[in-house]
Amino acid sequence: MRNNKSGVYGILDKFQRAAWFQLNNWPIRYKLIMHFLLISILPAICLGVLIAWATDNIIEKQVNDHTSQLIGNVNKSLEFYAGNLQNMTYFISFNPQIKRFLSSDVKQPESEVYDMKKFLQGFTTLYTEVAGILVVNAKGEYLSNEMYARSSRSLTEENWYKEAVEEKGIFKLIGHPSNRNVTTHVNYKDEDVVSVVRAILDPETQKVEGVVLIDLKLRVIAETVKDVRLGKSGYLTVIDDQGDSIYTPVHPIVSKLERAWIDEHPSGEFSKDIGGKQVQFIFRKSPFTNWTTVGVFSTKETVMEVREIRLYIICFIFVVCLLGIAASTYLSYTISKPIWQLMSFMRRAEDGNLSIRFKDVRQDEVGMLGRSFNAMLLQITKLIGLVEEEQRKKREAELRSLQAHIKPHFLYNTLDTIQWLSRKSGAHEVTEVVESLSRLFRIGLSKGNEIIPLEEEIAHIESYLKIQKTRYRDKLHYSLDIDPMLEGLYVLKVILQPIVENAIYHGIKERRGPGHIAIQAYLADERIQLEISDNGVGMSTEVLHQLRKSLGTYPQKSGMPSSQQPAPSLILPGDSQEELDTAKGYGIKNVQERIQLTYGASYGVHIDSEPGKGTKVTIYHPVIKRREAGRA
Amino acid sequence: MKKLLMVYAVLIATFMLFLYVYAFREDTNRTEDAMYGGLHGDIGEKYVMVNFQSGIDYWKSCLKGFEDASASLNVSVEYRGATQYDANEERTVLEQVIAKKPAGIAVSAINPDALVVSINKAVEAGIPVVLFDSGAPKSKAYSFLGTDNYNAGVKAANQMAELMGGSGKAAVITLPGQLNHQERTRGFQDTIRTLYPDIQVIAVEDGKGDQLVSGSVAKRLLGEYPDLTGIFATEANGGVGVGNAVKEAGRLPKVKIIGFDTDKGTLDMVKSGIISATLAQGTWNMGYWSLMQLFHLKHGIVQQVADWQGSGMPLVPTYVDTGITVVTRQNVDSYYAK
Repeated sequence: MRNNKSGVYGILDKFQRAAWFQLNNWPIRYKLIMHFLLISILPAICLGVLIAWATDNIIEKQVNDHTSQLIGNVNKSLEFYAGNLQNMTYFISFNPQIKRFLSSDVKQPESEVYDMKKFLQGFTTLYTEVAGILVVNAKGEYLSNEMYARSSRSLTEENWYKEAVEEKGIFKLIGHPSNRNVTTHVNYKDEDVVSVVRAILDPETQKVEGVVLIDLKLRVIAETVKDVRLGKSGYLTVIDDQGDSIYTPVHPIVSKLERAWIDEHPSGEFSKDIGGKQVQFIFRKSPFTNWTTVGVFSTKETVMEVREIRLYIICFIFVVCLLGIAASTYLSYTISKPIWQLMSFMRRAEDGNLSIRFKDVRQDEVGMLGRSFNAMLLQITKLIGLVEEEQRKKREAELRSLQAHIKPHFLYNTLDTIQWLSRKSGAHEVTEVVESLSRLFRIGLSKGNEIIPLEEEIAHIESYLKIQKTRYRDKLHYSLDIDPMLEGLYVLKVILQPIVENAIYHGIKERRGPGHIAIQAYLADERIQLEISDNGVGMSTEVLHQLRKSLGTYPQKSGMPSSQQPAPSLILPGDSQEELDTAKGYGIKNVQERIQLTYGASYGVHIDSEPGKGTKVTIYHPVIKRREAGRA
Repeated sequence: MKKLLMVYAVLIATFMLFLYVYAFREDTNRTEDAMYGGLHGDIGEKYVMVNFQSGIDYWKSCLKGFEDASASLNVSVEYRGATQYDANEERTVLEQVIAKKPAGIAVSAINPDALVVSINKAVEAGIPVVLFDSGAPKSKAYSFLGTDNYNAGVKAANQMAELMGGSGKAAVITLPGQLNHQERTRGFQDTIRTLYPDIQVIAVEDGKGDQLVSGSVAKRLLGEYPDLTGIFATEANGGVGVGNAVKEAGRLPKVKIIGFDTDKGTLDMVKSGIISATLAQGTWNMGYWSLMQLFHLKHGIVQQVADWQGSGMPLVPTYVDTGITVVTRQNVDSYYAK
């Protein structure tokens, strides 16, 4: 069957059948554990993830803001230095001796040169960040303490000179100098300094009189910028407007910044994938220096704090997991354990150990359940006791009835012997009576069967009547009228005899002259009706009433055997009138009880009587076709 | 119960693994840090160079050494000093520097005594101090880095004797108050006296460390002593002044001049033959190794001595000779900046 199921359905079916999928099949313990874990660990994890996410975002933003601020500050100090240098160039150009040097065509005397050099020395004394100052006039003559031309080539042909001229008196930072015909005495290399230039113009003619060149030590910028470290490996770098590096640290993440990345924006931030590493850039351009300070740091290791927070969160989740698991296990254990115990008690009770008791003083539901369980067991034990008692009684009754059957059997055998003896000796009457008596017993016993064919019951009553006829001779007449339709039907045995006996002893015998007993059997209303009518003395209304009542009071349904059950049938006939009255009813009641016990209250005995006119007893008996079917 | 223990074991193992990975990642970061290598300071540490006449070219080479050392150690440096030749001003500047609690101070003392109190104060406050170029032997400074000035005087005397042909009259223009100049003078005089008896040192004059003052002193001497054939200027400005004076007096090339140090003016004069020779000091070395020593003292990278502060044991070399070389017309080109 299963093999016929193809692919998807099979899997789906299996899936649905999977034990773990069906929550209802889970042991209560696992359900509880699952529940506790869900409400302890899941929110913790969610909270952790949320916090991590939030702090990540917030810190990233703060880092960016912070970096932006730092860059702003760095730019400010750079501008401060640049501003100082600018002032210096102005200050130098204001000096009358320098002015003369720039404008006059005659060569300055030695003492004046000495003075000018002293004047320039003053700047380097005060501003130690200045590596050198060079003043060049339009003729290419120069003045400096620290710098001098390498060759005789005129300094006015230098790039920096031309740049300064182009700017028309505006201060200009030209970054690291290169290929200059100027060197410093103190061996500052090109990459050690940053050059600034400013052309000095004649205010009237706007003619370039000369250029002031100042070398700024890069160390000053480096110290300002180096002081700022972003995260673990982040750093600041400064590039000029050509994209050339002014300052780059020793181990940069990005060796060369592309000018295109920064473009024309004065400030901003972006991230790039460099060598498989996500790198964040934050930059700000200083409008004064035209330099752009760029913060470069790896986004992954943004800041230590994030990692630290993550560590704490993970520690927290771990602790919650440990506590949660322990707590959920313990809680589920405390809840499921008594249930398990109760269950095992019930199993043992199921296996038959009813003496077991749930011993726990707990006041919760399980305790209550336990006590109910104990009460139930008590009740069951009690009921079982009752059933046993009844069974014992029933058994005793059966034994008694067996004994009662054994005695008549012996009697019946003896009667048979007597019959043969009397036949031998020719006493026909005796033979006939004994034979009848013998048949009476045989049918009465009928091998212990409760239900016998109607014919046999009729034969039984006939034998009885024959015996009584022998005794009463002409005083007793009888007639039998059996509907042939009844052939093959079964009835309870010995239901006629007690009634006929009553009719003889209480009806016919009391009457004067011969009496007649008529027995009729027929089918009516789907029932067998057996009518026994006599023309005896009959009975008074009170007696009839009493008799009917005693027949009716008998419980119509056989309920559970109980000690309160009245047992009127155990009263035996005696000599007194009262006992006689009772005895009169005894046979009928016996029949009534037997029929009603076997077939129910809709069957039984009905009595009609009129004083002086006789009595008619009708037995209502169900139609029993087979012995087996009617067997109660 | 067993299951629970197993779950716990798995959880704890996972956690340990996480911690391990976390610590490991930390380690790799640290190795990245270590990549910067060896001696590595903090950019916030500020070492100060203090001297006098701070504008003069002579210090620039010292400062360059100081700055180069700072670049390789990743620390900050500052250059301060008296603008004039003024002991009081230098002391004031030094006191100001000490008040800022720098990581270390390299001092060139204007004279052996003026700064002793201030230097001792700094050392007692836990600020490492070394002296360079010109010392203050009575102070508690850890070390002195500079030219063996007596030896420089000896070298100058030998050179002078060679130039003068072993006989004649010589003069010294110096700074009498300053220890290094005194020693140069002493080395010069002692050598002349002992090795060259034919040479007479006729005058030791104060040039005040200034070009013009030295020039006028030389002029006067030239006037007083017509047979003067050798002048030894113990410092750079003096040499140039003397050169100018001799040139103006038209006594070249009879009068031989030995200058000191290798500033542009002196080198130019050596090249043009006005100054016959000059003595080059290891000025860059002074600055460079001063900062190295200060850094070692600051970071305690010194001999493992318990209570090294109070032991009195020398923690760094107490004296470093930064060397002296004679620069003549033959080798002067290599002293120009490239």
